[in-house]
Parts: sequence; C-alpha cells; structure tokens
Amino acid sequence: MNRYGKSGLVRNVDGTGLAGVLRTLVSTLLVALISACAASAPAPVEEREVEARVREPARQSSEGVQVFPLQNPAVKELLADAGAAENAGDYDQAAVLLERALRIQPRDPEILQNMAEVQLQVKDYEQALNFAVRSYDIGPRVGEICSRNWRTISVAREHLGDHSGSAQAELRASACMNTKPTSL
Amino acid sequence: MSKSRKKKASKRRKQGKSTKKSWSSRVWRLFLLLGGIFLGLLVPWVVYLNHQVTTEFEGRKWDLPSRVYARALEIYPGAPLSLQDLEQELKSSGYRRSDRASRPGSYRVSGQAIDIYRRSFRFHDGAEGALQFKVTIAGGRVNTVRDTASGGVLDLVRLEPAEIASIYPLQKEDRTLVNIEDVPPLLVSGLQAVEDRNFKHHPGIDLRGIARAALANLKAGKAVQGGSTLTQQLVKNFFLTQERTVLRKFNEAIMALLLEFHYDKAEILEAYINEVFLGQHGAYAVHGFGRASLFYFDQPLERLEPRQISLLIGMVKGPSYYNPRRHPQRARQRRDQVLAAFSETGLMTEAAAAEASLSGLGVTDSPRARGTRYHAFIDLVRNQLAQVYKEEDLRSEGLRIFTTLSPSDQEKAQKAVSGGLRNLGERGLSSSLQGALVMADVASGEVTAVVGDRDANRPGFNRAINARRQVGSVIKPLVYLLALEHGADYNLMSRIQDEPLTLKQADGSSWTPANYDGQSHGEVTLLEALSQSYNQATVRLGLNIGVNNLISRLAQLGVVADVTPVPSVFLGAVELTPLEVTQIYQSLAASGFSVPLRSVIAVQTATGGELVRYPLRMLPQPRREAIGVLNYALTQVVERGTARALNGLLGQAATVAGKTGTTNDRRDSWFVGYTRNRVAVAWVGEDDNRPAGVTGSNAAMRIWAALFRELAIEPVDLRMPDGAFWLWVDSNSGLLTAEGCEGAIQVPYINGSEPEEMTDCLAGSQDEDDESIWKKWFGKKR
Repeated sequence: MNRYGKSGLVRNVDGTGLAGVLRTLVSTLLVALISACAASAPAPVEEREVEARVREPARQSSEGVQVFPLQNPAVKELLADAGAAENAGDYDQAAVLLERALRIQPRDPEILQNMAEVQLQVKDYEQALNFAVRSYDIGPRVGEICSRNWRTISVAREHLGDHSGSAQAELRASACMNTKPTSL
Repeated sequence: MSKSRKKKASKRRKQGKSTKKSWSSRVWRLFLLLGGIFLGLLVPWVVYLNHQVTTEFEGRKWDLPSRVYARALEIYPGAPLSLQDLEQELKSSGYRRSDRASRPGSYRVSGQAIDIYRRSFRFHDGAEGALQFKVTIAGGRVNTVRDTASGGVLDLVRLEPAEIASIYPLQKEDRTLVNIEDVPPLLVSGLQAVEDRNFKHHPGIDLRGIARAALANLKAGKAVQGGSTLTQQLVKNFFLTQERTVLRKFNEAIMALLLEFHYDKAEILEAYINEVFLGQHGAYAVHGFGRASLFYFDQPLERLEPRQISLLIGMVKGPSYYNPRRHPQRARQRRDQVLAAFSETGLMTEAAAAEASLSGLGVTDSPRARGTRYHAFIDLVRNQLAQVYKEEDLRSEGLRIFTTLSPSDQEKAQKAVSGGLRNLGERGLSSSLQGALVMADVASGEVTAVVGDRDANRPGFNRAINARRQVGSVIKPLVYLLALEHGADYNLMSRIQDEPLTLKQADGSSWTPANYDGQSHGEVTLLEALSQSYNQATVRLGLNIGVNNLISRLAQLGVVADVTPVPSVFLGAVELTPLEVTQIYQSLAASGFSVPLRSVIAVQTATGGELVRYPLRMLPQPRREAIGVLNYALTQVVERGTARALNGLLGQAATVAGKTGTTNDRRDSWFVGYTRNRVAVAWVGEDDNRPAGVTGSNAAMRIWAALFRELAIEPVDLRMPDGAFWLWVDSNSGLLTAEGCEGAIQVPYINGSEPEEMTDCLAGSQDEDDESIWKKWFGKKR
C-alpha cells in the first residue's frame, strides 16, 4: 500500500470512484482535442499537461464546491505576477515569486499547489509531488484545490514510474468532490 | 641587447688604438656612443613598459569585496511588525531618522506612522526604484501602506536589505565600481578642472602644465604644485610604487604616453575614478569615487549634490589630510577652493558655487556600520557558500550574496542569550557560562538568527555551528517517533514500564539509568513518559526499537552523526551542534516536510547576473502521520511536562511544542521549541564541558522564552495529516470513549493504531444514537 493512499478520508466514497475516473477521462480527452485543434501555436507539451490534466478537470469537476482561504492583497499580487511569469514561460521567475509569497503565507494551499504545478512544468516531478502533498495536507482536502492536488500527484507519480500510485491519486482526485470536508 | 653592446665595446677598443683623431671628433663620437647606448636601452625598455601597460590595463580587474545582504523585509497590510521592529530594521539597513524623510535612506516617525524614503536597490530577483511611502502600524501589525506621492494604497513593498558584511580582498581594498556613463557630469568635468585642465588634449603628459607647476614652485621656493596629469596619477597608482625618484618619474611619463596611445580618454578617466584612493575605513582602504560616496555620504554616486562632489574632488589631493570627519575645517576650505575652480571654469554659476560653499559638508557622522554583530551568521553563510565558491572568489569577485538573516530577530536572539546568561550569573551560576542559539523559519528552513557567543561582538569560536555537545533528552522524541511509526504496536496511550533496569554493555560494565527525580513511575503511557522525560521508560522503549534504527532515523532527518550504537544513545549520548538539532526539529515542526536549513537564497555577480539560486526544496519524511502525532505529544511537554514553566516565562498560554535536555552532571542545558512558523534551539554550558549546574528548563528554556516573548507567537497547528486522526479516549484506560464521558481526552492516532474496545459510557450512548457517535469520534478538538 502506498503511503499517501492510506487514509481515513476515502472510506465512505468507494461507490463514486468509477464515475469520477470516467469523468476525468472524458474531460481529459476533450481538452486534449480542443487544444490540439487550436489555431494558435500549441503550447509546449508540459504546459498542456498541467492545463489539461490538472487545472481544467479540477475546474470542471469542482461544480461550485470552492473552499479557498482569504488571501491577503500582497499574496494576491505575487500570485498574479507569478501567473504572468508562468504564462510567459519564465518558470524560474514564477518559482521565485511563489517562494516570496510562501514567505508571507507559508501555509497557503493555493500557493503551494501553484508551486507544484510550476515544478510539473519544469519537469521536477519529485518537487511537484512534494508541494502538492503539502498543499493537500494543510489545505481544505476538498473541492477544486484538492482535485488539483491529487491530479498533480497523479501526473507526477506517473512520470516517476509509480503507475499504481498514479491511478490511486486519480481516484482521490475524483473523491475530492464527494468527501465531506474534515474540519480541525 | 647584449649583441649591440659587444659591437660598441669592440668599436671602443678600436678607438683606443687610434690616437690621431682630433678632440672635437672624439667628443662627437662619445656623444654618439652615449646616445646609442641610451637608445639601445630605451627601445627595449619602452617595449617592456608597453607590454606592462597593455597587459595590466586590459586584464585589469579590481579585486572587489563581496557584499552580504540580510533578507529584505516585506511590508504589507497585516504583516506582523511592531514600530520598534520596523525602526530596528530601518537602522540595520542604514536609514537615518530625520524630521522629513526627504532623501533616500531616511525616515520620519510620527506617532504610529513612519514615512520611509526607500533607496533604489537591485534585489536578487530584480531592480526596484527609490520610493517614498508611509506605513501605519496598529496592534503589532502593519495597518496601511501608502505611496506618499500618489496617496495610493500599496499592497506590498520591500525594504532594501541591510548590508550585513563584506568579504574583503586580502589586500584590504574596499571598492564599488562605477561606469563612466553613470558618473555625474560635474564630477567628470570638475575633476579635470581641478586636477588636469588640459586632460582632453594632452597626450598623457602636459608640458605646459609641468612648466606652469615648475614656475609656481620656483616662485614659492618649494614644491606647491604638481604637474602630473590624471593619466600620470593613474599610472602612478596602477603600476608604480610611491617612492619619488627620477627613474620613477621617467617611467611614469613613458607609461602615461603609452596608456594614452592605446586607450581613449573615457577609459582612462573611468579607471581613474575607480582607482583613486579616497580614505581609510578601519583596516580597509577606500578606493574610487563610487565607494567614497557611500563611505562619506551614504548615497550612491549618481545622487551626490555639487557640494559633495566638490568635496570628494578636493580630497584627491590628500584624503587623510582633508578627511571631512576628522578635519572638517580643512575639508571645508579645500571644498570651497574646488567650488571656486568650478565657477572660474564655468562649471557652476558664481551664484550656485557661492551658495554651495555656504552649505555644510553633507557628510554622515560615521560610515554605515559594517555589521560586526553578525559574525556567527556569516560563518554559516561561508559554510554554505564553501560548497560552491573558493575563498578567493568570495574575496575578489564582488559577489552579491542574499541571505536569510532577519536583523530584528538576530538582535532579539542575541539579547536573549546575553541577557539570559547574565541573569543566570546573578542567580549564582558561573559567569563563564556560554550559550548558543539558532532560529529558523519552519516552512522554508531559512535561518533567521544565529548566536554563537554570549558577546555579540566577539568573533571566534561559534558554538551554534561548531560546538558538538551531548544532547541529552532532546533526542528522546525520535525514540517515540520510531515507536509511533509501528502503529500496530504503539500509540500515545500505550503503556510501558518506567522501572529500574540494568544493561550489560559491550565492555562488560553494566549501566543502570536513573530518572531525573531518582524515582521510578511504574506503568506509564508513552505520552506521559515523553512529556515527563522518564529515562527508564525511554530506554525500555528504545530497546524494543533498536539503537541502529534510531541512528538511521537521525540520518533520515538530515543529521549524520558519529554515534556509537549503545543504549545510552536513547538518552542522548550523541554529540550534536545546535544547528544540527535545529535541522532535526525543523522536520518535526514542518510536519515532516524537511527542508535543508539555508542561510543563502541567491548569489549574483557584481553586475546583477544571477549565479546560483538556492530554491526551496522539500524532502518529505516517511510516515508523516507519526510526526503529526508526535507534534501533539511535544505540545504536552510544554502543557504539563518538563517544560510546563514555559508559558509562565512567555507570559501567555500559547500552543508551543518543545523539549528540554539536560546531560550528565548538568553539563549541558538544551531547549528546543517551535511554534507554527518558527523553530529555535538554545544551548547553555561551559566551553570546557565541566559541570555547569544547568538543566534544560533552568537555563536554555529561559533564553528561549526570553526570545519568543519578543516575537509574535503562532500556535502549533495540530490538524493531523493524511493518515492520522483525533479520537476521544479515556485518559486512564485508553479505551474509546465519547466527548462528555468522564476522563475523556482527545488524542491523535495513526490509522490502524486506534483502540477497538470502548468504555461503558460510550457503549451506553451508542445504543441511543448511532449516527452522532461518528460525529463525536471525528469531532473538533478546538
């Protein structure tokens, strides 16, 4: 058993796993199709991967289940700058800005998850995995961010050769929308 | 050369034989001969000098000291920052308090508001311009930040970091290079007006200038004027010694001509501006106008006013004689002479020059402090950089080193150590007690303060980094961590025996560990044994764990120690430095997301190119759910265990995790504690390791508390990670129970380690309402 998979939180969601996987598969294919047909120059593969396999399906499946902590304006500004740097393909600068944001709010699940996605794009799968797990640990463990957490974990594990772990993470991602949020 | 000499020598022999030649012819021949010898010597000599001039000038690379910067303070609404801390940070960054913050590097305090005029600065991730802004503070937090000019709200501003050290070249020259394009025009033309009016036109030496100087000297009957051009002065500084001989004067002239032949005026002037000696800062010679500007005025060269430019130009003539701090009268006279020359040559209007000569010198009282209080931290920086850079690179490449030091944390940490040790002295302990402290940010592993001696200003033995001392009970949490990792066998409510035991050691001797209070406590829970730091229980538990497992767990936590695998290791017979202990506890405090401790985040070249970045990289520990459970146990050390005096010392009841440590015969006192965002380790003991009468709670914990009393404390986060959860259990039996039942307490369990049997109280209520039990089981703690 993988150490991330062993959890008390998915006990009661077994019934919905298959539907979640199907949904993910469909949406992944859909996004892949759409981006393949786009007229503009295609983004680099790794960028598509983050968008297609992490962000888009998480957005689609979150269905209004949003649990975001309030962000202070300083962090918001840094995240916006980091996002701009990322879009411009300057992942180093994006990482520097996210690190700066983390100095202000070290336990902000969204900053951590953004960092995980940047790491995914620079193909540092180990760090991508670490940041996503950390984000999940201190995050809401439900909703879109949770879904992005597990999808990132899934993609990272796949690249690291842990295929069963990747599949498990995919299941956890679908469960993000069904699990009762655990407070505490 | 030797060939031509031989020829001439043979000629002379022939000459000696011919006696019929006339005298005039002889004189003529002699003249030719001498001329020949002279030329024969001169040509190769010039070739030699030419080689020297071109290779030296082209390969010219000044050894530039590296500058070490503290972390940049982030100012934003909501930032935890008191007025005192902000002022402390400003002072560390070399800001001056004034009535109106009208110049970069100054600030003004009015009530709970501070007006700041930030200097422009090249941060490690980009340059930012000068900025005037106003910060208001309320209740220990930044309330508002506004742009002074526009009045607009600023979401985030950072202060340029304090320069905490320079790593100087061995020849002890301090220098900040400037490009000729960035030099104020008044300095460029003013320098010529005063030192070398014909600079633009002469070929390196100025015959008219020499004649004029000679005339003036003749008139005065002594040397009052020099005819040296700027080029000659540069040559003198660059290539020659300071002795005044005819030969040197000759060399100087030739080399000046050669320099001018090869290079253009701008290059020569730029070299001059960076080379000229302009003062002495302690053991270090201040070279070049760029550094001199910072040294005398605390402003970059491009911001100098005419009165300051004229002073610097005047000082070229004699930097110590005209030292404006030591001899302001002389300096002023000299400056006014320069201003007169400016108006005479039309560089300034007469009125402007007259007005400038009425103003003060504009010199700061003292050069910006060179941060001698940061020795201990700089040692850590050097250690980290030594993995990448050679010492000579640090001394010559002009690197810009961006570190994680927080000047205000450092100040508080040093105060806590120095004050705490003084206090222990007053309580009857030795006045030779030493102390050390390391503090780091939990999530990033960034070290914010290092104290290596009770005296901040004493460089030398750095105990925080280099003192290897037995850690005592500080090691114990790892024994319990290993036990908790075996969830099938142990949870915090598992019972172990705190009873006397005797162990046969490898050398045949026997070892009988005793408890601190000399008592044995019978059957105790893991939670009690850890929070009360019972030795006998810990050794029993450790024997089940295995000492080699403990040692390898230590390595997993980032500390490879040379440990003999004997049972006394369970009680801390391991020698570690305070820095290493900090590394271990960073992992615990960060819920298992280990980050190698860092003191440097980036290194740049002198011109701002990025060389190395040390990004945040996490190395997660296995079984983080066990670390989550252990974190709770360590808060119980503070709440009811050996560190229960801490809250009193802190003056507040905060959720803090910690562990005390005392070694045999009270030689060492340790306290490690962490909050949600900070982890710090304090150590107290004697350098020669003699019994010091200290315990974890009577010495190191007091220092730790004195530090954290001055910091905003964020409570430890006790939410369990994936794989562990909270349960209501009976405090005596450890059975499942419900909130509200007698003796019910909440304890975290790793999945699968939870008890299965339940108390009667729970069983009774379960019949009533099956649903709500789940709620109770997984209910909120706080």
